[in-house]
Parts: sequence; C-alpha cells; structure tokens
Amino acid sequence: MSNSMVGPKALRFLNILLIVLFCLAIILPFLHVLAISFNSGVDAQKGGIGFWPREWSFENYTEVFKQDNLLNGLFISIFRTVVGTVIGVALMSMAAYAMTIKTLPGRKQITFFVFFTMLFSGGTVPYYLVLTELNLTNTIWVFIIPSLYSVTNILLLRTSFNQLPFSVIEAARIDGCSEFKIFRSIVIPMSKPVLATISLFTAVGHWNDWYYGSFFVRDASLKPLATLLQEMLTRQAALSDILLRNSGSMAYSQLDKITVTSESLQMATIIVVMIPMVLIYPFIQKYFVKGITVGSIKE
Amino acid sequence: MENVVVHNGVLKTKEELEKHYNPVKETLWTKMNKHKIFYIMLFPCLAFFLIFSYWPMAGLILAFKQYGFNTGILGGDWVGFKYFEQFFNDPRSWLYVKNTIIISILKLFVYLPFPILLALMLNDVKNNKLRGALQSITYLPYFISWVVVVGLMNRILAPNTGMINQAIESFGGDGSKFFMMEEGLFLPLVFISYLWKSIGWDSIIYFAAIVAIVPTLYEAAAIDGAGKLRQIWHVTLPGISATIIILFILSLGSILSSGFDQVYLMQNPGNANVSETIDTYIVRTGLQGGQFGYATAIGLMQGIAGLIITIIVNKITSKKFGTSLW
Repeated sequence: MSNSMVGPKALRFLNILLIVLFCLAIILPFLHVLAISFNSGVDAQKGGIGFWPREWSFENYTEVFKQDNLLNGLFISIFRTVVGTVIGVALMSMAAYAMTIKTLPGRKQITFFVFFTMLFSGGTVPYYLVLTELNLTNTIWVFIIPSLYSVTNILLLRTSFNQLPFSVIEAARIDGCSEFKIFRSIVIPMSKPVLATISLFTAVGHWNDWYYGSFFVRDASLKPLATLLQEMLTRQAALSDILLRNSGSMAYSQLDKITVTSESLQMATIIVVMIPMVLIYPFIQKYFVKGITVGSIKE
Repeated sequence: MENVVVHNGVLKTKEELEKHYNPVKETLWTKMNKHKIFYIMLFPCLAFFLIFSYWPMAGLILAFKQYGFNTGILGGDWVGFKYFEQFFNDPRSWLYVKNTIIISILKLFVYLPFPILLALMLNDVKNNKLRGALQSITYLPYFISWVVVVGLMNRILAPNTGMINQAIESFGGDGSKFFMMEEGLFLPLVFISYLWKSIGWDSIIYFAAIVAIVPTLYEAAAIDGAGKLRQIWHVTLPGISATIIILFILSLGSILSSGFDQVYLMQNPGNANVSETIDTYIVRTGLQGGQFGYATAIGLMQGIAGLIITIIVNKITSKKFGTSLW
C-alpha cells in the first residue's frame, strides 16, 4: 500500500466519514433487532425501541427453544451444515486437484464438462423432478447430496492449487511419494486459506438456505431453521394483515394476553439464525479475502 | 515467472520439466493407468454433474411433452410448442419479462460503479487497521441470508412501530404507511437492499486489483501533474478494467434471472404488478402450481437466452479488449 494518491486532509476525512456512515447503516439494523429480541414482546408493540431494550425479557429466547419445531429446525440446520461442508469440501478439493494435473488424459474435456453446467442448466422443474425420481425429496439427504459440489468453488480451488510451487510437489514425486499422499500431506496443508474460504462459503450456503426446505421437503420435522424463519415471515405478513383489518376483534385482544408476540419471537429467531455466522466470522474473515482474491485476478 | 523452475542448476519451464520426466511416448492406456488415482478422485464429481446437471438438461424435453404423474418425463405425449404459445399469448408474460429485465438492469448496470467506488474509497484509507476493520464490516451482510435481510426490512419499514415511520411521526407526519407494500417503492427497496448486502463483498476483488497496480505508475502520473481524480481515471481504472470486464460478462448471462431469493421474499399483494419475475413465475406455476411442462418451457427459453448472451458478450469483449472467459 504505497501508491501516492495523497489528497487534502479534509477530503480524506470526508472519505472516512462516508465509509463509517455506511458501516453504521449495516450494524444499526442488527442492534435494533437485537434490542427488540431482548425486550418484552407486548411492550415492543408500542414501538419506540431504538438500540437498547426498554423492558428486558429473555422470554423470546426461551420461547424459541421451547418450540419443538424451531429446536428441531436448529438441529437440521446444524446437521446439514456440518455434514454437507465436511463431505463437500473433501470431495471438491479432490476433484479440483485432479483437474490441475497437466498430464492427465482427458483433463480439458473433464474441465469443460464441469464448467459448462455454469453456463446452462435444466432449470427448476426438471431439477425438481430428478430429485423426486431419485427419491431424495422429503428426506434429509436432499440437503446434503445435491449440494456436494459447486462449480465456482471447484474453479477457485483449482486456480489456487495451480499456484502452489510445482517444484515441491515434483520433489515429493521423485522421492517416491504416492500421488494421494502428495495431495493429503503437501497440497492440503499448503492450501489452508482457500480451504477455509471454501468451507466458509459452503457452510454459509447450507446455513442460510431456505429454498430446499421450502420446496423439496414436506415434513415439518425436516425443515431447517432458515425455512422456518421464512415461513414465520410469510405468516406474520398474513397475520398482521388480518389484524389490521379487524383490529379490536377477539384475535387482537387475545394476542394481548401473552407477552411474547409473533413479532418478537421472529426477532429472536433472526438473532439465533445470525449468531453462528457472527461468531465464526472474525476468525475466518482474514482467510477469505486471501482465498478469493488468489483465484480472481487475471495476470 | 512462476512457470519457471530451477532444475539441476538450469532454468526450465514446467512444461520442459514434465517432458524431461516423460521421455518415452506412452500409449494412452498406460498413461491413463498411471493416473488411476486422479480418475478415482474425479469420479464422484463427474457422476454428480451427470446426475444433478445433465440429467435435468435432458429433462428439458418436458417443455414439449404432456407431463403425467404416472407417465413421468419420457412417457407423456408430444405437445409441440403448445407451452411456448401459451406463454407468448399471455399478456401477463410480457409484464414478467419486463419486470425481470428492469430488476436485472438495476443490479447489473446501475449497481456496477458502486463497488468500484467503495474500493477506491477504501484504498484511500491509509491506516491499515482502520481500513481492515471497516472492510470486515462491509463484507458482513453478504453472509446474511436474504430471509434475515427481508425480516430486518419488514421490521424497520413496518407501519406505526417501524423505525422509519416513528421518525416520520415525530416530525408530525403520517406514520402508518407500510413501505414494503408500496408498489412504487419496490424497485428502490430492491436496489438499496441489494447494494447494502453486496457492495462490500463485490468491492473485495476490485480492491485487490487496485492494490496490485504498480505504485510507480501513480508517481509518473503525479510528476506529469495529474491530480487525484485524473490519477484514478488514467491509472486506477485502466488497471482494473480486465477485472471489471470479466465480472461483467459473468453477470450478464443472468440478465433474465434477477435473483430469486430477494425478489420472492419481498413479494406481497401490494407490489405484485412489479415484483413477479420469470424466476418467481416458474416456481409459482411449476413447483407450486404443478404445471410442469409449462414452467419447464419458460425455464428453457430463459436458459437458452442466457447462454446466447454470455457467448455473444464473451466474443465481443475478447475481440475488443482481449479479455475473455475461455
């Protein structure tokens, strides 16, 4: 960082100020939701809560963990994230490494076979019918198996493996090291940044995905947390619509009796969905910047 | 330089070195046999794409067939171009195409300069620690699910109790508007939330490209009397143009699919006229409505158009700028 774009001090300050304002626009909404989630639900309905709870209450969270379907959804989410990421990253790095072997007969054709799926696909309905025909729909494996590989991740891994010092690998080869051992004990340990990046992408993809849970499974017991949150959002919209139309009716006065509202429960669920992300983020973020820029700049 | 390796005290390129170790011409079979382990590593990958990508492509045949739940994909009767006619004869279809393209233009063209601008601004922050901290915050929303983002928007923009409405009320205005339901606000909200979620992440690549520019270029420009803006115009932007073009080609292929999650989750009865896109229409008619053939036909047209656009843009840019995807 030593280029000489030196400008007047005021301009530089204004620049930092603008970026800081944008960062505030990112953080403040989360603080707002966090404050509501720790506030009594009925009290929150009066509005006026900023970034700190007015009437502290942990009830929203105890309610989240009391509701069988939400707890179950949390387990489904954890299961698919852990299993899907571990198997997926292992399989993708093996495939990507094999694609970097220049002497491999058919390497170009194989790469094209994989890359082409990025440019064209069968679309939503045929994909769904294939999942049905494989009897994957409405099982937990629909979250794992169809998401094992991702073309962009394979390409990222391939580019990164390509940039490893060839001499080290060749030296091991001359020493009689088996190809799989080279992969396991040389290539993998040397590729930590990109592996951390791919793991993060895969894990976040699993954790955030609500689509498969919404359209490819029917059993409520199979729905991951993100899908349940999405259903809450939709139901919330429908519910508040009804309440607005006949406010003052029975439904509204009944809602008043419980301190947890569907709104405050939703805010607590949003926080539960976000927590793992926010917790691992600081540890992994130094890797991913390195990981994604390695493969993307064309020299 | 990275292709050059020192071998026995002599500089050799990787290719030469490989030749050196494979002096005898092998038959294809022995060569393949030697690489057995790599085929084993690749096998699940190829099987995966065959099953989950190429099989659905074969399933596109459904666009010309009558789907029956007992006859499956292949068993139904041919119906020719019936579904395509049905799509083009429905005036609503053109509305969905129009909605899709408008949203795509917002996300591809209008949005394009913003991450570049953020990268330039971040590059101007000289304190590394401060810049690192600010960058980390700007990336964060990228990792947050659209479900959560739309949940946040619903809360902040809610009637009466939402932050925005309370602010309006405190200034004496009418705070009962549900902004998410306003048809006229749908596109601005799509754009702002997309910008909020993606700008930091998309700036990473531009930032890396800016940092990779040789500092002496700036020094030379400064000696020639170029001010800051001219330096950006004549040094920085040409320096990152290859990156901009590659990312742009990659994104153009998706012009007919404007991002399913965000649009679907932001849809409500209030904005139905502007928020139904090709993607959401396919899910509504196909997955939710069971009109498999019809939805497949729409998906087929969308896919082919995307492929053609990508190929054409790639041809043009490789001729004009010497940058291409393949």
